[in-house]
Amino acid sequence: MSDKDRYFKMNWEKELEEKVSREKLSENLGGKDRIKKQHDAGLYTVRERIDILTDKSSFNEVGKLAGHAIYNENNDLIDFKGSNFIFGKAKINGRNIIVGGDDFTLRGGSADASIKEKHLKCEQMALSLRLPLIRIVEGSGGGGSVKTIETSGRANVPEVEGWNLVVESMGTIPRVALGLGSVAGLGAAHLACSHYSVMVKEKSAVFVAGPPVVEQIGQKLTKNELGGYEIQLKSGAVDDAVDTEEEAFDAAKKFLSYLPNSVYQLSDQITCKDNPKRASEWLIEAIPKNIKSVYKIRPIIEDLVDKGSFFEIGKEYGKSIVTGFCRLNGWSIALMASDPYSYGGCWTSDTCKKVQKFVDLAETFHLPIVYLVDCPGFQVGLDAEKKGTIKEGVRAMSAIWQTKTPWMSIIIRNCFGVAGAAHKRGSSYISRFAWPSARWGSLPLEGGIEAAYRSDIENANDPKLELQKITTRLNKLRSPFRSAESFLIEEIIDPRHTRRIMCEFADLSAPLRKTGITNRTMRP
Amino acid sequence: MIYSEVSGTVSEILVSRDQIVEKETELLIIECMKMLIPVTSKNRGKIMNIYVKENDIINEGDKLIDINYDI
Repeated sequence: MSDKDRYFKMNWEKELEEKVSREKLSENLGGKDRIKKQHDAGLYTVRERIDILTDKSSFNEVGKLAGHAIYNENNDLIDFKGSNFIFGKAKINGRNIIVGGDDFTLRGGSADASIKEKHLKCEQMALSLRLPLIRIVEGSGGGGSVKTIETSGRANVPEVEGWNLVVESMGTIPRVALGLGSVAGLGAAHLACSHYSVMVKEKSAVFVAGPPVVEQIGQKLTKNELGGYEIQLKSGAVDDAVDTEEEAFDAAKKFLSYLPNSVYQLSDQITCKDNPKRASEWLIEAIPKNIKSVYKIRPIIEDLVDKGSFFEIGKEYGKSIVTGFCRLNGWSIALMASDPYSYGGCWTSDTCKKVQKFVDLAETFHLPIVYLVDCPGFQVGLDAEKKGTIKEGVRAMSAIWQTKTPWMSIIIRNCFGVAGAAHKRGSSYISRFAWPSARWGSLPLEGGIEAAYRSDIENANDPKLELQKITTRLNKLRSPFRSAESFLIEEIIDPRHTRRIMCEFADLSAPLRKTGITNRTMRP
Repeated sequence: MIYSEVSGTVSEILVSRDQIVEKETELLIIECMKMLIPVTSKNRGKIMNIYVKENDIINEGDKLIDINYDI
């Protein structure tokens, strides 16, 4: 035996070989049949997902050796299955992140095949390293099933261990959740408890409990009918839906590109190839003169922000407000804009909830907010009252009033009532402008005149003529220039030059942003 | 199927059954919160059925028009 051979005999190669062989077994997931089943359903396995999502060879798995081993009577390993939750550090576009994903091929991602400490460590790691967390959810996300009682030999007193970490991270690091198959129970909770969530159309379904359980209460529904994207996007439980898993990964990457790694950092300015002073001629006619006519807000947004930078979030929910991230002169900005196609831009109960979450999101990660205002007020009527619009409305207003992030509002048309007043926060400074098409007041004249001048109209010889006279009289008074005379509005601007003003706001806001945890951390 | 995204009153119906419409054609107008909100076709298609008539009061989620985009 040579010295070299003797040297190797005395080292740890054999142990390392065992490590490698155990890790290889872990890569087998739930076995060939279960992997085939996953592929036949048009879904990737969790390892494939992490591979596609992250930069090549960047995934450093943590706890690959954790799992369920079977030994023979001599205590020699005869089989090994990894845990059904895989996590680690990786990079996306060169940036460090933490990623964790459920392995549906092992007991459908359920707790019976899980090691709960892995979930906790994943959450702790992201929070402690102050890195964004992407959770790939499929199955029950490590939650229990009825079968758990048999594997553990006792019933659980319900507890979600580590939820404190989830709550803390909502106020500290960006959390993205991707629901890529059937997602129930704790899995659904992880999807809902995120800053941004995505599901795949026709492939994903999200519910508290799936069709077999729901059938017990007399509802016979398919997965899609119960928790398909059309249900969950409108309910606001999930933000977006895309056609493929690849698109879900792209959406996650895009979302994160606007945010810092944690609240202890600020998002960077990127190179802006779009002229910040670019004027847009068509904006002079973007708002119809007929006050009953609507217009499309998205082309206006697309035109005002850095070209191609608008990333809409939650398009199908609370549709009277469009929310999303964009860039202005390369700076990351949270943008809200009214959409008159939905209730004329009135704030519905859902709209108010959407505003709460979005404003909290911007405040948490120190993004300045730009709000293009066309709000005739809260939605009125029996439906609105039944949905608690005023309660959600004051919660949205409180979220706005609690912000400290730089704020800009541009009133482009209507601004009425209490909901209209929520275009700014209390007495602290905001940058505010109006287009010449702006109209404001406590109540729109239309509909308000009959109530306020009821006796004058009723007692007139010709009530119709009287109503017309009053309307003409008041219309003259509501010119935005009358308000500007009293300095009720600071500046009326040429719509064509709005982008320049918005980019100046972004430049001025950048040095004002402060890092750290906000006083009131956001709830999902 | 096109469902109403808002509650309001059907102000005007602009198409008729069996009509072929182009992408983004205004199909009907709903008056909602004193605004006139058009409902448009997502793509080229054929109007199969119209479930409302002018002046009908409608709720969010009500069926409006059945349109076949596979033509």
